[in-house]
Amino acid sequence: MGPLIPQEIISLDWNLVIAFVVGIGFGFVLEASGFSSSRKLAGIFYGYDTVVLKVFFTAAITAMLGLLYLSLFGWIDLNLVYVNPTYLWSAIIGGIIMGLGFIIGGFCPGTSVCAAAIGKIDAMVFIIGIIIGIFIFGEGFPIWKEFHEAGNLGSLKIQDIIGISGGLFTFLIIIFAMILFKTGEWAESQFTREEY
Amino acid sequence: MRNYSSLGYLTQVFIILGLVIAFVPENTTLPYKLSAGEMLEEIQIGSEFIHPDELADLIINKDPSFQLIDVRSTDEFQKYSLPGAINIPLNLILADEWSDILNQDTKMNIFYSNGSTLAHKAWMIIRQVGFENNYLLQGGLNYWLEVILNPQKPKSTDPNDEFAKYNFRKGARQFFETSSPSTGNVREISAPKPIIKRTKKKKAPQGGC
Amino acid sequence: MLVRQVDGYIKIFMKGNNSLNTKYLNPYVAGMLLGLILLSAFYFTGRGLGASGAMKSVVTSTLNTIAPNHTSNSEYFAKYVADGKNPMNSWLVFEILGVVLGGFLSGAFAGRLKLKVEHHPFITSNKRIALALSGGVLFGFGSQLGRGCTSGSALTGMAVFSLQGFISMIAIFGTAFIFAYFFRKNWIGG
Repeated sequence: MGPLIPQEIISLDWNLVIAFVVGIGFGFVLEASGFSSSRKLAGIFYGYDTVVLKVFFTAAITAMLGLLYLSLFGWIDLNLVYVNPTYLWSAIIGGIIMGLGFIIGGFCPGTSVCAAAIGKIDAMVFIIGIIIGIFIFGEGFPIWKEFHEAGNLGSLKIQDIIGISGGLFTFLIIIFAMILFKTGEWAESQFTREEY
Repeated sequence: MRNYSSLGYLTQVFIILGLVIAFVPENTTLPYKLSAGEMLEEIQIGSEFIHPDELADLIINKDPSFQLIDVRSTDEFQKYSLPGAINIPLNLILADEWSDILNQDTKMNIFYSNGSTLAHKAWMIIRQVGFENNYLLQGGLNYWLEVILNPQKPKSTDPNDEFAKYNFRKGARQFFETSSPSTGNVREISAPKPIIKRTKKKKAPQGGC
Repeated sequence: MLVRQVDGYIKIFMKGNNSLNTKYLNPYVAGMLLGLILLSAFYFTGRGLGASGAMKSVVTSTLNTIAPNHTSNSEYFAKYVADGKNPMNSWLVFEILGVVLGGFLSGAFAGRLKLKVEHHPFITSNKRIALALSGGVLFGFGSQLGRGCTSGSALTGMAVFSLQGFISMIAIFGTAFIFAYFFRKNWIGG
C-alpha cells in the first residue's frame, strides 16, 4: 500500500532517484503543452490562449480523482500524504505577490525552469529574479517573520471546512472546471491567434 | 470541431469518475485487509486460541516473543491482571497511540479478558485491519483460574499425560501465587517494550516549495 | 491500414487549440499526464511536485558557500544547513534537475531548442528582460511568503484538498487576472 517510501516499502535511497524521474516527466509534459512560452502562458489572462487553465485544472482533477480512487481501493494511505499547512494571511498576500510576478514576468518557477531548458533567455533571467527574491525574503525575514507565521490553521483539508465529502467536492470542481474550459475555448475562438 | 471533441471526451470521463466518487462513501477507516470470507476461514480453523497451559509456559519461561494485551477496563486491570500485561481497553484498540505496539510482526499479541468474548472482539478487529500474529487466551481469565490456579487432580485412571499436565499446573500455580503480590504493580514490570518494526511517520516528508 | 489509424489517433491527441496546426500536446491530454505524474509522486514518495523550493536550496547553498557564518546565523536559512545538512541534497533539487532534462528532451523532439528572448513585437527585448527579472523577484519573494509556488502550493495543494492550495490558486490567478489590464501592453500590445 502506498505511499511507498514513507511506509518504507521501498528504500529511502530511491527517494531522490524517483524525484529525478518524476521531474523528467513533469518537465517533459510542461514543455510539450507549451508552458515554455511566456506568451502562451500569459494568454490565459487575456483569453487568447487558455492552455494554462486547461492543463492546470485537468491535472489537479486527475490527481484528486486518482488519490480518491487509490484510497477507496486501499492502495494509498492518505494520512501519509503530505498536506501543505494553511497559513491564511501569508498564503493570501504571498499569492497576490506571486500573481503580480506572474503577469509581469510571464512565468512561474516551474515553467521558467522548463523554458530555460530550451533556451529562453527571458526565463533564465526570471530564475535569477526568483533567486534574488528568495534572498531578499531570507535576509529580511525578521521583518516579516511574525506575518509569515500568522493565521496557522494546520494541515487543513477543504472537506473539513465545508463539510462535504472529498468525492462530492471533486465532482463540483469537475463541473466548475468544465464550464471554465468551455468558456476558455469560446474566448480562444474570439482571437485570431498565432502560435508561439 | 476536433478541439470540441477532446473536451467532450474529457468531460465524459471526468463526470463519470466524479459521479462515482461523489456517491461512494469515503474510505476513512483503516483499510480491512481481510475479506469476510478469509475471516470466517480463520475463525473456523480456530488457530487463534492459546491454551492457558501454553500461556503459563510462555510467562514462566519469560519468552520474549509475545506480549499480553488486557482488553478489559482499567479498573478491572488494576484489580487483577496477568504479569507483564499491557492494558488496552477494547474501546481504545484502534487508537493511534497503541497502533505501534499492536502493529508489529516481531511479537505475538495475546489478548485476554475475563471470558473470551471481549478478547475475541479485539482479536477480530485487529486481525481485520491486517495486523499480524494475534492470539487470544482460550476461555479468558476464568478458564485460567480454573486450570492454572485451581488445577483438578486427575483420576487415577487417567492417562499419564494428564498427570504431567497436573504437575505442570501445580508448578505454575506456585509460580503465579508467589509472584502474585507483585501483580499490583504490573504496569512497572510490564513486558519489555516490543521492538517496533514499522514506526509510522505521522508526518510525510516535507512538501511544497 | 493500422498505421493510418494510429496516425489518426495521434493527430487527435496531439492537436492543440483551435484548428491551428500546433506542435503542442492537446492540453487535456497534457493535463491528464501531468495529473498522473503528480499522482505517482504521491504514490511513491507521499509528496507532490514543487519548484521554488529547489531555488531556495540554490540560494541557501550559495549563501552557505560564500558566507557560512552568516547563513548559520540567518533566522530563515539556518534551518536548511543545520547539522551539516547539504541543502542541495533535497527531493526538490533532484526533481528540478529532472525538469530541466525533461523540458530539454521535449523541446529537442519538437524542434524548439533555440536561444532567444521571447517577447511581444511591441516591446523591446531589453524591456522583456527587465520585466522577467522584476516578475521573478516578486515570484521568488511571494513563493517564500506563501510557502510554495504554483506547482508546490497551488497544484499539489489542490490535489490533496489542502485549503492552502485553493487559497494560493485563487490568489495567484485572481491577482494576475485583475492586474492583467495594467500590463496588457506587454502581452497583447493593445
